[in-house]
Amino acid sequence: MTALRQDAGLPGLLSLLGHDAVADDGPVVTVAVAATDTEAAVRRLAAAPGARLADLFASGGNPAIDGDPVVLRMVWGLDSDRRYLVTESVIEGERYPALSDIVPAAFTEECEIYEQFGIRPAGDKPLNRVALPPQVDPGFPRLGRPPAEQPADVHAAHFVGGQAFEFPFGPVRGVGVESLYYGLVTSGEELVDLYLFTWHKHRGVEWRLRGRTPREALFQVERTEGLGAVGVGWAFAAATEAAAGVEPPARAMRTRAIALELERLYNHAAATAALCQSTGLAVGQAAAEIALERLLRLNAAAFGHRYLFGVVDIGGARCGPDAAALRRELPGAYGELRRAADALLGTNSFLDRLEATGILTQEAAQRLGMVGPVARATGLRVDARADHPAAPYAEHPPAVATGQGGDVLARFRVMQAEAAESVRLIGDLLEAGAGPGCADLPEGTISRTGPPGSPDRSGLGWAESSRGEALAWVSLDEGGRIARARLRPASVRNWRGFDDACRSQNVFTDVPIIEASFWLTVAGMSR
Amino acid sequence: MPLWFVRGLRRGVVTTRYPARPDSSAAALPTPPAFRPQALTRELADRLCLVCPSRALTRSGDVLVFDAGACTACGRCQEAAPEAVTPSGEFELAATDRGHLVKRIPLLGEGDS
Repeated sequence: MTALRQDAGLPGLLSLLGHDAVADDGPVVTVAVAATDTEAAVRRLAAAPGARLADLFASGGNPAIDGDPVVLRMVWGLDSDRRYLVTESVIEGERYPALSDIVPAAFTEECEIYEQFGIRPAGDKPLNRVALPPQVDPGFPRLGRPPAEQPADVHAAHFVGGQAFEFPFGPVRGVGVESLYYGLVTSGEELVDLYLFTWHKHRGVEWRLRGRTPREALFQVERTEGLGAVGVGWAFAAATEAAAGVEPPARAMRTRAIALELERLYNHAAATAALCQSTGLAVGQAAAEIALERLLRLNAAAFGHRYLFGVVDIGGARCGPDAAALRRELPGAYGELRRAADALLGTNSFLDRLEATGILTQEAAQRLGMVGPVARATGLRVDARADHPAAPYAEHPPAVATGQGGDVLARFRVMQAEAAESVRLIGDLLEAGAGPGCADLPEGTISRTGPPGSPDRSGLGWAESSRGEALAWVSLDEGGRIARARLRPASVRNWRGFDDACRSQNVFTDVPIIEASFWLTVAGMSR
Repeated sequence: MPLWFVRGLRRGVVTTRYPARPDSSAAALPTPPAFRPQALTRELADRLCLVCPSRALTRSGDVLVFDAGACTACGRCQEAAPEAVTPSGEFELAATDRGHLVKRIPLLGEGDS
């Protein structure tokens, strides 16, 4: 435990919140904020340079316990200070200040909290349906109490006038992509408006994790978003390790990082193939899919699973990489992707479809709390590996690729630059030595002192997945089982920017191109 | 665009010769479990049923019923009881009748019951 750094931005922020100092100088600082002060605190934090709202979620509110209050938590990324700030507010009653009026990035989470805990922001703002399907009854499994009224369907007060008409598309879509309902409002060519229904894939993952041991839970956490198994699994494992006070061995952390970079590589290859498919470039699609298949086979050779399930363990890594296979096969597999991408960047008919398509401005990305390649393509330098460097990224810092313009082409270029950087990082990490290994999880209760109103054993974890910053918050009960696990894959953040990007003067056929460039999952969004 | 046509032709056929020849990557894939009846007891069978996330395993008396059609080859049963469950190495799953995918494994191990 060390004294609080006086030159950091955190002391100033804490004094704004009425706190003089923090006892722990770690990467996560947790403070209690009275419910009556929540709105003022959010206004101050939102106005503070360098602070961004990374997550908002609730816990408590157990319907079996009369009067059990809901605890509202906000996670703020203080990126320049290399810390996360977690604020905790106990909410009595069914209303809390409308935080999304101050920070628009909070809106999706406000909707989720209403669905799951029955408390809503003050005012009459309509709330969207995010995860729970419309036909559920009050007895449907939820994390807390059901809301007094059913939330409106997305954009319930949705009017289509003039020459525009509404074109429903999905939720069952072609070529095996995930279930997603598009409400496309168009005048025939130009996209006027768009709304999404994502709840078809809700599986109640966070609800299912309660009462499980962290290792039991990890199995389902990895499957929350199959294309982000390592990123989400790492964030969850890190949160559990923070709650239990254990530190994984350095070799195991390097193993996790190798798996995470492999995950980034194959996702960027898959996004490249999807971009080719959406632009009708069949040979380019085949070229990118050759690279994708080689990368997936390399995953299987290196870790025993094409999608890298089972690599991350609580306290470390379950298996080590086959270093010889990686050194032998990675240059060739990446070479396929590089050649395909270079050829695509020299194809004017392909670039014409990408340029000025699906523009997301830097201001919108910042306002909506976007993360990952989507945010970086607007010029924002947001990368948890660099901003919040947990081992091994502190010793192996990545060169963060950013773009300009925020269009599909900028996202494509950022992804290709990141793929090259991932190959370099994997080489460095292999040189440093990687392998399996786990720190022992302590049995029973650990004596940790949290702020008032917080559970003694809770922790925040993060990882920079291929889609961006993945967050997890875990609270353990006295027996070491999960009392509440919050999973926030990057998809939860970035879907909210998708409709903005689609509305930016695009035509009907641009939508699949924009979706491929965002490369998000519905499974991660609705969990 | 003609360049892409030439690129495609020059790249040639890259698909494997499967099923005429085995796929070289098959050995690295997770496969459904194979059970050793002599190592299976009622207690162990119940434990395996509990860890199976897709409910591919159920116990009926002294028989472990394994539905290969429901198995996702997640490996949890193999992890829970390596002495009784091993990877089958079988990834070609095909049957003309759904019932043929359901296997009945006798519990021949010596348990307490």
